[in-house]
Amino acid sequence: MTNALFQLPDELVLTTLAQAFPCRDSQIRALATLLHPAAAPCRNLVLYGTEATGKTAVTTALLESLETEEIDSEGPSLKFAVVNSVECITSRHLFESIVGKAAVALDWDRAPSKCETVSQLAVELSKMLKYTSRPDSFRFALVFDGIDRQREAPPTLLPALARLSEIIPCLTTVFIVTSPPANFLRTSFVPHLRFPNYTKAEFVAILATDPPVPLPNTTAQETADLWARFAAAVHDALAHAASRTLPSIKHACSALWPRFTAPILTGTHAPREFSKLLVAARVYFHDERLLDPGIVAPTVPAQPAPNGTCPAANGSAPVPPTTLTQTLKAAAAPTTDLASLLPITARLLLLAAYLASHNATRHDLVLFSTHHHGRRRRRGGLSVGVGRGAGGRSKHRKIARKLLGAHAFVLERMMAIFAAVRGEWDARFLESGGEAADAADVGMAIATLASLRLLVRVGGAQAGGDPMDRGGKWRVNAGWEVVRGLGRSMGVEVEDWLIE
Amino acid sequence: MAEKEDNAFQEDDHRAAYVFNPLSDGTAAAPSAGAAPRPAKRRRLPSKKAALSGGSEDQPSGFVSAGFLPLFNGLESPGAVNLRRELFEAAWPVLEGRVQNVLREANRSTLDEVSTFLRAAEGEKDKIPAGFIITGPNIASQDLLFEQLAETLCKGSQTRFVRLRSAEAPNLKATLRKIIRDATVRVTGDNEEGDDVEVSVGQDGRRYLDYDLEALHVSLKLQQSRRVIIAFQDSEAFDNGLLTDLIALFHSWHDRIQFSVLFGIATSVELFRARLLKSIARHLFGAQFDVVQTGAVLDSVFKSAVAGSHALLRLGPSLLRSLVERQQDQVAGIQVFISSLKYAYMCHLYANPLSILLADDARINRELLQAEHIEAARSLESFKTHVEASVEARQLNHARSLLDEDDYLVEQILEQARKRGDYLLQLLRSLHLIAASGLISTPFTDLYITALSEGIDLTSEKASVLDPLQRLGPDEVISLIHRLLSAIENGSPELDLQGWESDGDELVASLSEIRDEVEALVEHAKDNRKVLKSKYSAQSRVLRTTVVAQKVQLSHDTATLTDEDKAFTEAIDRLAGLFSQNVNCEPVASLFLHEAWVYDSKSPYRDVFVPRPGITLSRALSRPNDYLGCTCCSKANGTVTATMPTTAVLYHLYLEAGALINVADLWSAYYALVGDESDIGMDERTALVHFYRALGELRAMGFVKQSKKKADHIAKLKWI
Repeated sequence: MTNALFQLPDELVLTTLAQAFPCRDSQIRALATLLHPAAAPCRNLVLYGTEATGKTAVTTALLESLETEEIDSEGPSLKFAVVNSVECITSRHLFESIVGKAAVALDWDRAPSKCETVSQLAVELSKMLKYTSRPDSFRFALVFDGIDRQREAPPTLLPALARLSEIIPCLTTVFIVTSPPANFLRTSFVPHLRFPNYTKAEFVAILATDPPVPLPNTTAQETADLWARFAAAVHDALAHAASRTLPSIKHACSALWPRFTAPILTGTHAPREFSKLLVAARVYFHDERLLDPGIVAPTVPAQPAPNGTCPAANGSAPVPPTTLTQTLKAAAAPTTDLASLLPITARLLLLAAYLASHNATRHDLVLFSTHHHGRRRRRGGLSVGVGRGAGGRSKHRKIARKLLGAHAFVLERMMAIFAAVRGEWDARFLESGGEAADAADVGMAIATLASLRLLVRVGGAQAGGDPMDRGGKWRVNAGWEVVRGLGRSMGVEVEDWLIE
Repeated sequence: MAEKEDNAFQEDDHRAAYVFNPLSDGTAAAPSAGAAPRPAKRRRLPSKKAALSGGSEDQPSGFVSAGFLPLFNGLESPGAVNLRRELFEAAWPVLEGRVQNVLREANRSTLDEVSTFLRAAEGEKDKIPAGFIITGPNIASQDLLFEQLAETLCKGSQTRFVRLRSAEAPNLKATLRKIIRDATVRVTGDNEEGDDVEVSVGQDGRRYLDYDLEALHVSLKLQQSRRVIIAFQDSEAFDNGLLTDLIALFHSWHDRIQFSVLFGIATSVELFRARLLKSIARHLFGAQFDVVQTGAVLDSVFKSAVAGSHALLRLGPSLLRSLVERQQDQVAGIQVFISSLKYAYMCHLYANPLSILLADDARINRELLQAEHIEAARSLESFKTHVEASVEARQLNHARSLLDEDDYLVEQILEQARKRGDYLLQLLRSLHLIAASGLISTPFTDLYITALSEGIDLTSEKASVLDPLQRLGPDEVISLIHRLLSAIENGSPELDLQGWESDGDELVASLSEIRDEVEALVEHAKDNRKVLKSKYSAQSRVLRTTVVAQKVQLSHDTATLTDEDKAFTEAIDRLAGLFSQNVNCEPVASLFLHEAWVYDSKSPYRDVFVPRPGITLSRALSRPNDYLGCTCCSKANGTVTATMPTTAVLYHLYLEAGALINVADLWSAYYALVGDESDIGMDERTALVHFYRALGELRAMGFVKQSKKKADHIAKLKWI
């Protein structure tokens, strides 16, 4: 048995794995063949596929079971180490993790010295694998998870890692990547193994393995059946448009399930009346907002939350939602208004910055000058635009400045606009007799807005200089909706102050 | 006087502007003088006293009394100086402690919520628990909150807490380094056996890179704790990419180290969410927590530190108003308010010799009050008003004695100290009663400021308290009286106001009497199935519609008041009278010698907390002679003369120029002013040197910069 030339791993192992990872049977078998020391072990192996298709999980589980299997029998032995590139900050970090993990896997007790380059890595690995006597059929599998996402990777990193197995014969390197470019390892004949995304039937089968807790007044079997049909319906409704991966389908199912089964809880429908339930919950299936992975608790109660965030959510967590509008309202409720947070000077400055960013410099005189007319001659942006549109069509259509994004402006210009509008917009300012535009408070307000990233210095650090330099260039970083709300909080219609 | 040597303050240190006078220096350092009297170098020497006694108790006294200089041109007695110092030392730390207490209390509910949330989320497997704390845009006040969070969350449980500020986290490596260092250092600090836990060396002797989370993992494993809480204090200022990287990293380590994150958010969670990638946001689940907003905190700080009876010094209404308005209008956190408060205390006690009158009776005596004190008291505005008033009131003897007899004045002064306490008590009680009555919705802050500046007089037309009081119905009247009685009984812990049931037994008795009467009337009316109303609450004229022969007739009818109603009206009138009789106080400025215990000058505060560099610079440049005090350009009066400093001359020319200034033109204009043909007759080389230096100074002050648009031109930077 030990001398067989080609021998697949124990069928039992593969069956167990196939049960743990449904719908990945062929991949598991292929992988087992390519990794098993007694089968057809290869030097380099590339696994690829989109997110959440089981690449890492299958590989790790398979290697673990192969390792334990080999320990029991007297046959060829296999050890492995998995290095996750997400956790490695630099390439040096990657190399040291490789060495560290390999040393742990091999029970290597000599303290590893530092390992800064690929060549040092080759030396270290050779010490452990090549120059130590091992049984003939010993193999070591080194798995690079997400190696295409490695930070600070030199361009030669991947080809160099692929060469490691040429230097060390008993090494198998496995690269797990999302989508490999052709010949990215710069070496001939590397077996590629694809992990395709799941089909609808597979999705349903996978979801069916983990049915939710049985609903009250139904049996577990009924719940499981309903769950399977429900999952298929969710896939039909949402998979193509919004959620293509397994986690997002799972998330969608768990978000929709309580709403879908609400009629059963209230007793309106029986769990067998699938179509009636579907009609009742139709509106949720149209709405993709429920799928947005919100970061705040209001979406959490949709899942059967054992973590009990609801009481901690400061009363903003809604009661089990019954209608869609209610849910959405609750999701919008926790917004703390920017207008109520910022004091008046900061609000005025932000508006001035918005005007400076979105008006052309040549219009400043028209907008802000009070010199000739006593009253400012104001031309509202909207009315002008409409008037021109209704009249003869202008020859070159321009994109509205508002849509083009914020332009950079000189700080002094913003301060001038601030000084010009302040008297008009802030009633209290005139009462108090007016103050200097450059008092320390204004500087503080600018600094606060900058630290909140509502005002952004253009050119950044490389422009250098003092942040309060009047010649410095800035840009507003608040959107139209925010600014309009801010203006209305002070009784200012910002639209009137914009010229297209 | 040893402290004089240690801290030799010089006159120049406290001048508003430093006048450079090369001539006086030149004569002093004349070669004939030989050993010129150079000012001794001020070196930081280890204090002898400290070296000898290792003195921890000597240090502060030496330090503080250094700041308290004898006033009255140095004539103030050491006893008075000491008294001022002691007053400050006794008053401010107590007050500060109370304020800190208030601030800490204000955060309590947020702290509880956050820790409950984090405790509940402990077992979370695939998502990182994230708390979003809406702190508002005031960055300074976040510090205290996060400090408290660190204390609360670390207490008892095996949890590491790391605070990150954007300034400390420029990139991923540095951030990780800080996280690992902070999370492991505290272990060694807390634990005696922490010596064998090295940051970079694991148990098997493996060395880790200092940004390798494996090191943290190993160290946590040794400590049997798996939880690390990372707090991003000012999350807006963090780079998007950095946040993304960190969250992804934390998530990938989540199965080994339990990370939780807290974000201090100044704007809104939605804006924060919009910055994150969807794939990253999926890793977080969180809850939003609101911090008590500045307005509410300000109110309680105000109550305890400004209005409360513990506050030694009263701040005057105009200063208070500008402080409070600044809180609302400007980006100035509660910390600014507190330091302004401290500054007011310091201004008063360091610089006002009469501030010793703040001390209680036992501390001041006749000897302490020098002739200068008495003279100062006589020069006060309120003294003048008081004397004039007593002359008007034909109390000539009183007025004369005040002016002539020192002892009489001292007696009066000492009596005023007692009157001050009575006044404050009356003020606070009145305010408390108004607040407790709930008849007007003005915030306490405004109420207090108005009371100080205008006094409380409910009978005057402006007061809007009595009107709603008269319109109350019977049940409301009873509940109002209940509220007032309980206010009298309990006082106000926030204001440090004790209940004054024993003092105000008359008031209590009449209030209870009115209550009993109204209750009896209500009972009576109920028996008669009528509704009790008063003259004020009932519509005295009722529009009546009657239908007669299919026509509608409108008739005015005066509602008649029954006897009970009349009795009720009378009771209400009595209540209003009682209320306005008991709730009153004078404006603080009308009190005799109030300057000794009320601090109300705005300008030192403005100069320190709201400096205006731009205005100051341009004023100094346009009228330099006001500051230099030289005779040569005294007649300039805002125009440019050749004798002005070169920078000022250039500044005048600069103001006349357009957006781009040709340097050659500027030079020729300048040279025409100071050159050979002018009164000064400077030669070209000297003028050129002056010119370049002045131009350099203008650039350093940010008025001009090099322009790329045109050769040999400079661009004007400041327009306003």
